[in-house]
Amino acid sequence: MALEALWSNKLRSSLTMLGVIIGIGSVISLTSIGQGIQKSTEDNIRSLGTDVLQVMAGAAESGGISQGQGSVSTLTWEDAQAIAEQAPSATTVSAYLQRQAQVVYGEENTSTTVYGTDLAHPDARNTFPESGRFFTQEELTFADSVAVIAPTVQDNLFPPNVDPIGETIRIQGEIYNVIGVMEEKGSQGPQDRDDAVYIPLTSMSARIIGNNSLMGVSVNGIYIKGENEDQLETIKFQVENILRLRHGIATPSDDDFQITNQADILETLTTILGLLTTMIVAIAGISLIVGGIGIANIMLVSVVERTREIGIRKALGATERDILSQFLTESIVISVIGGSIGIGTGVGITLIAATVFGFPFIVSTSAVVVGFVLSTSVGLVAGVIPARNAAKLDPIVALRSD
Amino acid sequence: MITLENITKTYHLGDMEVPILRGIDLQIEASEYVSIMGASGSGKSTLMNIMGCLDQPTAGRYCLNDRELTTLTKDELAYIRNQQIGFVFQQFNLLPRATALENVMLPMVYGGIPKAERQIRAEAALTHVGLRDRMANRPSQLSGGQQQRVAIARALVNQPAILLADEPTGALDTHTSQEVMNLFHELNEQAITVIVITHETEVAAQTKRRIRIQDGQIVDASR
Repeated sequence: MALEALWSNKLRSSLTMLGVIIGIGSVISLTSIGQGIQKSTEDNIRSLGTDVLQVMAGAAESGGISQGQGSVSTLTWEDAQAIAEQAPSATTVSAYLQRQAQVVYGEENTSTTVYGTDLAHPDARNTFPESGRFFTQEELTFADSVAVIAPTVQDNLFPPNVDPIGETIRIQGEIYNVIGVMEEKGSQGPQDRDDAVYIPLTSMSARIIGNNSLMGVSVNGIYIKGENEDQLETIKFQVENILRLRHGIATPSDDDFQITNQADILETLTTILGLLTTMIVAIAGISLIVGGIGIANIMLVSVVERTREIGIRKALGATERDILSQFLTESIVISVIGGSIGIGTGVGITLIAATVFGFPFIVSTSAVVVGFVLSTSVGLVAGVIPARNAAKLDPIVALRSD
Repeated sequence: MITLENITKTYHLGDMEVPILRGIDLQIEASEYVSIMGASGSGKSTLMNIMGCLDQPTAGRYCLNDRELTTLTKDELAYIRNQQIGFVFQQFNLLPRATALENVMLPMVYGGIPKAERQIRAEAALTHVGLRDRMANRPSQLSGGQQQRVAIARALVNQPAILLADEPTGALDTHTSQEVMNLFHELNEQAITVIVITHETEVAAQTKRRIRIQDGQIVDASR
């Protein structure tokens, strides 16, 4: 009978259901999308390697204005070699120079990041050639003109049918032979690791940067890897001491270098993303409340509107319990059907968003449970409380209402 | 069958007490065909509501079939309305979104009658009032006379002892009014107690006993 009543007023039923659907759907999709983005960002940072320390030349100040990290050439390749020799916990040490440069192949050209690195770079950055090879000790020593390109550069410069290996490219006008193509790593935040060209550090220093100093080969940064993440604090301590000794620094506040830890960055980012997710959940919660108010409103109006119906039913012998169970059934059916459609909608939106924007498809179980329970109970309470009041009316009072 | 002893009903409007019924004593026997007449505001509808267990008297005793009703619980009263009393209202009071058949089946739903039997009995009741081919229609698709006949079928479907009609012809034209009154006459022949509340003398003239009520008191209850 309750079902017949629902069916006989399709518009009211579907509007109420819509409130439930929107409430649950938005909670599930927003929360799930938030979690998916958080997970994908964390995964990206993790894939950079959380067991890596990065030493950068300290921020130079010019008239009190910070010039940014790596803007002074206080860090040298010799520093890196000293760390490799003297820091017992460091297993891999790799120095690099980097510069944005124009790279040309035939008619095609692209602006990309050129890295001058040593041989430890693939290990330190966990990125290896997919085809061809990385350069050798000999090529590093003699500053040979060899280059390993990353996939995005290959796509930008070379037609699909051309194997880049053995071809010649120009970096800032200098001729380099392509000897390898790196594997795909994906982008990390603003940094696209696939848009890069790797050449020997010596060659970069002498031919692209052109500032070989008496101090040795200056570098932009040094990557240092230990056995595992737990070693990083020890390594950091050792590196600080070695560099202060080499740079003649007495007090830590005078440091001309900075050591950052991917794990620290990950932690910071996780905190920020966590806050973001909390905010998203709060927004989702608001939409749940709005949905709930919608349900409550329609239920309330429907019961008031149907006081006369309740009166007729009571005159014909319906007890309070009969009336109440009818409205309870109606509310349950609407809430459960609406809730199920809402879950489906939320999961569907999440799936679409995950596919389109390429983050992992995670459905937040807690969002499903909380959303379903909340909107169902709002529907129940909003339907039952006025129905209970109406059921308690004297039949004649209910009958007289219009 | 129906015994009312010194029934009073008083409404409270703010601080004011408005007496509607002032000490009604009345006896109606089984199978009587009674009309209760009075001007509007005389208290005749309130009297009917009390006899139909839709409303409670402020004081006095009401016995139906030797059973004292004033002490019963709401659920027990609902059961009596369902089993012993059939209502016909001036405004028909059909559920607008239900078909004629569903409307007639409703009292049996609350009477706990199995669905298959409900259907058979409701169809029989509608056939009896001449609406065999209107069963699937909603009230809005029926004329006033047809709606009132649906209401009568609904009132009779649980085989009540008493049929209570409150201005049953008030919203109908003369011709359909007469059809309804003929139907009541026929039901009374079948030993159902019919009580009609009306202010129309032509309607009252067709009943066997006329009770007149004025200012909440019975002025003439002669048989």
